[in-house]
Amino acid sequence: MVIHVAPKELKNDFWKSKDIKISFGEIIYDGEDSEEKESELEMGPTPKPNVTDLRSWDMKLLDRYEPFYAPFCDMCCLCTYGKCDLTDGKKGACGIDIKAQQARIVLLACCIGAAAHSAHARHLLEHLIEKKGEDFPIDLGMNIEIEAPIIRTVVGIIPKNLGDLREAMDYMEEQNLHLLSACHTGQEGSNIDFESKALHAGLMDNLGKEIGDISQIVALNLPKGDEDAPLVELGMGTIDREKPVVLCIGHNVSSGAGIIDYVENNALEDNMEVCGICCAAIDISRYNQHAKVVGPISKQLKFIRSGVADVIVVDEQCIRTDVVEEAQKNQAKLIATTDKSCMGLPDMTNEDPDKIVSQLVNNQIEGALILDPDKVGEVATKVALKISKDRKKLKILPEMDEIQEMASECTECGWCTRVCPNSLPMMGAILEAGKGDFSKMEELNDNDICYSCGRCEQECERDLPIMSMMARIGENKIKEQKFNIRAGRGPIQDVEIRRVGAPIVLGDIPGVIAFVGCTNYPDGASDVARMAEEFLERNYIVVTSGCGAMSIGEYRDEDGKTLYEKYSGDFDAKGLVNVGSCVSNAHIPGACIKIANIFAKKPLEGNFEEIADYILNRVGACGVAWGAYSQKAAAIATGINRWGIPVVLGPHGTKYRRLFLGRTDLDEKWKINDMRNVTVVQGEPAPEHLLYAAENREEATVAVAKLCLRPNDTSKGRQLKLNHYIDIHRKYFGTIPEDVYKYIRVEKDIPITYKKDIKAILDERGWAPKKIISEPSIRDFKGQSSPENFKNKSHPKADAK
Amino acid sequence: MYERIIPWQPTAIAGPKQALLVTPKTAKMMIKRAKRPLFVVGPIIKEDPLLKLTIDIANKWNIPIVTTGDAYKTLRDRDTNSNPYGIVEITNLLKDPEWKGVNGEGQHDLVMFIGCIYYIASQGLSTLKHFAPHLKTLTICKFFHSNADASFPNMKDEEWLNYLEKMKIA
Repeated sequence: MVIHVAPKELKNDFWKSKDIKISFGEIIYDGEDSEEKESELEMGPTPKPNVTDLRSWDMKLLDRYEPFYAPFCDMCCLCTYGKCDLTDGKKGACGIDIKAQQARIVLLACCIGAAAHSAHARHLLEHLIEKKGEDFPIDLGMNIEIEAPIIRTVVGIIPKNLGDLREAMDYMEEQNLHLLSACHTGQEGSNIDFESKALHAGLMDNLGKEIGDISQIVALNLPKGDEDAPLVELGMGTIDREKPVVLCIGHNVSSGAGIIDYVENNALEDNMEVCGICCAAIDISRYNQHAKVVGPISKQLKFIRSGVADVIVVDEQCIRTDVVEEAQKNQAKLIATTDKSCMGLPDMTNEDPDKIVSQLVNNQIEGALILDPDKVGEVATKVALKISKDRKKLKILPEMDEIQEMASECTECGWCTRVCPNSLPMMGAILEAGKGDFSKMEELNDNDICYSCGRCEQECERDLPIMSMMARIGENKIKEQKFNIRAGRGPIQDVEIRRVGAPIVLGDIPGVIAFVGCTNYPDGASDVARMAEEFLERNYIVVTSGCGAMSIGEYRDEDGKTLYEKYSGDFDAKGLVNVGSCVSNAHIPGACIKIANIFAKKPLEGNFEEIADYILNRVGACGVAWGAYSQKAAAIATGINRWGIPVVLGPHGTKYRRLFLGRTDLDEKWKINDMRNVTVVQGEPAPEHLLYAAENREEATVAVAKLCLRPNDTSKGRQLKLNHYIDIHRKYFGTIPEDVYKYIRVEKDIPITYKKDIKAILDERGWAPKKIISEPSIRDFKGQSSPENFKNKSHPKADAK
Repeated sequence: MYERIIPWQPTAIAGPKQALLVTPKTAKMMIKRAKRPLFVVGPIIKEDPLLKLTIDIANKWNIPIVTTGDAYKTLRDRDTNSNPYGIVEITNLLKDPEWKGVNGEGQHDLVMFIGCIYYIASQGLSTLKHFAPHLKTLTICKFFHSNADASFPNMKDEEWLNYLEKMKIA
């Protein structure tokens, strides 16, 4: 039963509005036929949008947040006409100019990123359907009814079982094919249209991630939005080196799960260590909390060089492509497990497991490609058990006196520092080590300030094994490398959204900050943890995933606690929410989408633009990808942007070649539609940018606080948000920010603590109050999705709660 | 000589268009000729003698300062006024010929950089190289920036400090 109340005018003090429409949603009876309810769902305007279907939305975003290009290369070398010089306004032989070429490369990066996540998802999906059947239900537990907010909004379907996810996967794959084709020479010619396509590729990336994570959560029984997910061990010092060690690197949980299953089925849990690096670590620890997390991608070369791992199992994404060579250096055995990364190894998938074990142990093959996760589990375990004892006798890393001797051979050419991505003072550290003082090298090793890319080592004219030296020096503090991380919980529960939806939209919770991405940090991993700590202390909700989540876990506060020990896993003020691995990032926009649906009753199915507009103008969320390095990270950020969520990158993020920056000096860029009054009004620069890169942590922290401001903030909420922005600005810049006047709409917006100072700024600026916008939007009036366009304003299952 | 005029981070080389190698004498000529110069100071400038030299150079030539990162506080603690911007924000404004400049007097015609993180500065200079033909860029860091119009060479500290001392003298 649906009751509509639409009084024309309500005049008393409380009801100072016209044309209020109140709907009482569906009243759900126990046992009601869910299929019948679904048939009542009205589809929005853009189910399964093609490449150009959301172009008009993109143009609105790109008009306000114009692409800012920082060419990484002045030329194009993608076809045989080239290389073409694109400087001084010159065009390539195909006619492309420098802006379009930058946008084209960004699109290419986003397509690669989306393909990586989605091919991973497709592999998982088919593997899990093979194991569990296509009718295996998508059941995320009692507290999660909106199981797939991105799929619902973009594809327009409500997936009930694993097989249903194929429809979303098929759609995504088709879109990515069209998008990739646009990168070919002689296709798209407009930088803005390339950007629209990049935004579409980012959205497809979001979709692929959601498919992947939902598949593995339901089929492998990973935590289902559990705010009390267990703390699992993290750090190089947590690995028992006396036991056989299997190390998983990459992102695909299949082979890691195969190893854990074999170990458990053979009661070997106490006899060996199964650990991981990068997102593989996060996902195996979601699968089984006894699996250990060595750390983020920055630990990869250090840990391999340490020789602790007897068997290295690589799956896909972010694995070192010279891992065969690195494994051989210390006689570890390598197993490749996916078609993405075969590493030149012989395909042993169909061989008898014991024969593969024998050939690996006897060095008859340099490694094995095994595409059967269960077989990987058996082979990896058996090999580790067989070779571990002998490998423990190997001397893998140099002794400290040897390091000193080697370091004393440094010729002071300085190239180790020049080729370092962060220009770290490696030469100075080595010179000191040559004198017996290892403290400088220790400083570089601590907190992954050196993230062990190994460029310095290749450049050294004395062939000093700098990464091995660093790995050995790091061993001196190995006992301190014991931390923890809350196992990735997956999605945010609907009940949590109900609890925090209003405080977020009205501004009482100052923001939701998501720390995601890789470890290409400008000054070590602790920057991420310190930013997270700053916002947690200020009552923000902090969400995290992937390597960012691990970097946060590697930090202890003044009391010696990790932030996961100190803060709960609730999606609430002061909550530190680890959603999981890279693919779990989907739950972050997912939470914003759920706010629009559950709190604001916006229908989801096929209704992307209205949802994104809602998020842009009302949900104070901001992403931070401080160490973003990969094409996946480019796709993640771009997809997040299309939902209207700003992202702050670290300084290396400028190498992606494109940002989306707002211009606060141009008032016309901030005109906004008041949908309730059908008027165009002068808005404020909130959020100021859509994709920003900061030079250091201090600048980023200030930027993040500001990027949580939204036009819809109530005065109370605006006060609170501005109070944090001003506090943080004072802390890092020493002053009240000069631009604060732009965000004061009425006197009630002024934070009480700073009233006197801000009033002085307002007087100086000739400030006058302006009306708070009732229903801010950047959508066209005529295109407004009115409630009449939808039979039901939200999914009945959501209303049922 | 060769090592002095390839980018400090050698892979920052972008293409055929390279910066002009300049000495303090040429750099000062560029400042003298400029009508509306701007001095962008990054967060690497934290301590003396670099901090003092930077402030002295700004004062000597009476150039308005933009600070990036958190350098605003560093200069403020030395009673030196500046305009805080993110490096990508100021670059975005500088590429617009219609922007009125930090003092509202019109777009700048020379932008001199010191103390920004090398690779983000390189990216910003690339933006200006491609999209801001209305202005010249000059870097007085101790690193050669091939994306600038004019740059000091790669130097060791002693030589660089000597260069900066010369920049204080008209």
